[in-house]
Amino acid sequence: MSAARARAWLLRAWVTLVFGFLLLPVVVVALASVSRTSYLTVPPQGVTLRWFGAVLADPEYVHAIVWSVLLAVVATIGSLTAGVAASYALIRRRVRGGALVSALLNAPLIFPGVVVGVALLQFYALVRMNGTFASLALAHMVITLPYVVRAVMASLQGIDPEIESAARVLGASGPVAFFTVTLPLIRPGVAAGALFSFIVSFDNVPVSIFLLGAGQMTLPVKIFTAIEYGVDPSIAAISTMLIVVTGLGLAAAERWIGFHRFV
Amino acid sequence: MRGRGGLLLAPSLVLLVLAFAIPVGMLVPTSFRPYVPLVGITSGFTARYYTKLVTDSYYLEIIGRTLGLGLTVTALTLVIGYPVAFFLARTRSRWRGWLTILVVFPLLLNLVVRTFGWIALLAQNGLVNQAMIALGLVHGPVVLLFNFAGLLIGLTHIFLPFMVLVLVGAIQNIPRDVEDAARVLGASWASAFARVTLPLSLPGVLSGSILVFVLTISALVTPRLLGGPTYQVMSTLIYDEFLQRLNWPAGSAQALLLTVMVLVLVFLSGLLARRTGARA
Repeated sequence: MSAARARAWLLRAWVTLVFGFLLLPVVVVALASVSRTSYLTVPPQGVTLRWFGAVLADPEYVHAIVWSVLLAVVATIGSLTAGVAASYALIRRRVRGGALVSALLNAPLIFPGVVVGVALLQFYALVRMNGTFASLALAHMVITLPYVVRAVMASLQGIDPEIESAARVLGASGPVAFFTVTLPLIRPGVAAGALFSFIVSFDNVPVSIFLLGAGQMTLPVKIFTAIEYGVDPSIAAISTMLIVVTGLGLAAAERWIGFHRFV
Repeated sequence: MRGRGGLLLAPSLVLLVLAFAIPVGMLVPTSFRPYVPLVGITSGFTARYYTKLVTDSYYLEIIGRTLGLGLTVTALTLVIGYPVAFFLARTRSRWRGWLTILVVFPLLLNLVVRTFGWIALLAQNGLVNQAMIALGLVHGPVVLLFNFAGLLIGLTHIFLPFMVLVLVGAIQNIPRDVEDAARVLGASWASAFARVTLPLSLPGVLSGSILVFVLTISALVTPRLLGGPTYQVMSTLIYDEFLQRLNWPAGSAQALLLTVMVLVLVFLSGLLARRTGARA
């Protein structure tokens, strides 16, 4: 028995170590953001919140935050609408070439982001759409769609199609049956898909960086270019804000829809 | 019913054909156009960007480095992640959901932010060097940025959650009874693990490995920030070709090579999965 116990302890120790490794950079960023020094240093020297103030007073950062949120919302609404319809068709309707359609829907997930980025850079330049908000929103819909489809399809698969049939038999039209019966049942999947979509769009660098026009900036690209110029505590401050928002959002998602079941 | 399915699929299909399939396809003709410095992309036909990729030692080194990183990151995430996945799959703790969320958290946290954390950790005066000097492991600071070591650490951290989550799924699907049966029949824990649990989790090991490998060779942000403009991998090479050197034909050829590598791997793993699935 003691061997089994030693194994269990060893496993726990390993798991603790790995969790420490996973969270290490997060903790370091948070610590660096409160340092009084004008250069990046860990452990921090003194404690100040002035870097947070500096970021929020910087119009470039504020503009990038607003832009990123707007882009993520538009992309998510788009990919949610298209993705829920497509998932429903693939699961509930007999679609010719369904396997091919599924492959196409998942393709943006497999293709390297940088390839999608440069392909759209060239394409938008040719059709003279470069530098527009629409071009960026469409690109983000492409990269978020697979996440929506995956989450919604998983949810739909767990639902008995007879429930919707029952609504139809009782006189509900197709759309009414879908919106009043099926959609409420797959709400957790739709919510998870929406959350994934928002995060994937809000996080994206490899596609956005090729498509941003003059005067356009997303937050991750802004941080990315800021780091390339040189690291300082204000980057740590904006990063810490993202850490807090992501953590709270994820905790809320776990409480409400049991988010871990969708990953 | 049949027609309605098509209508529901239309928005997604139109989007993916217009804003994905056609643009990616259009890289093919571009990759065969000659690029003349100061003039731009000219008409004509050349395969020189492809021949360069497979003969020029500069490009071969970058391709080799990319694949080498892919292999080592995959191996590391597998070795580090398997025990964690095993624990998460088998624990009866009521905190299991939240522990899983703790693995997911770094995954959802902005990639630039996570990479930035590693810059702070791996810099000359960073925490890792401070700790190693304090422990007497090294005498002076070790260079951990802009080289293989830095990229390896950063990418392993970034992709470890993917490996863990895939493995958790695979290990969960193995009935505990099978392991217990082996133990009852006299197998030691080690041999029950090596001859029962591990082989049954191999499909998960395969798909996790392919996923991490593909993600590693495709990664742009982490290699760029931890490798700088000089320590290149394929993605950063493509990035520079398009945005710095403006040689789109060469960049297109590189992008297509990377795409083909990824697609071949995904296809082969699909074949392999089907074959092992058929044998089991």
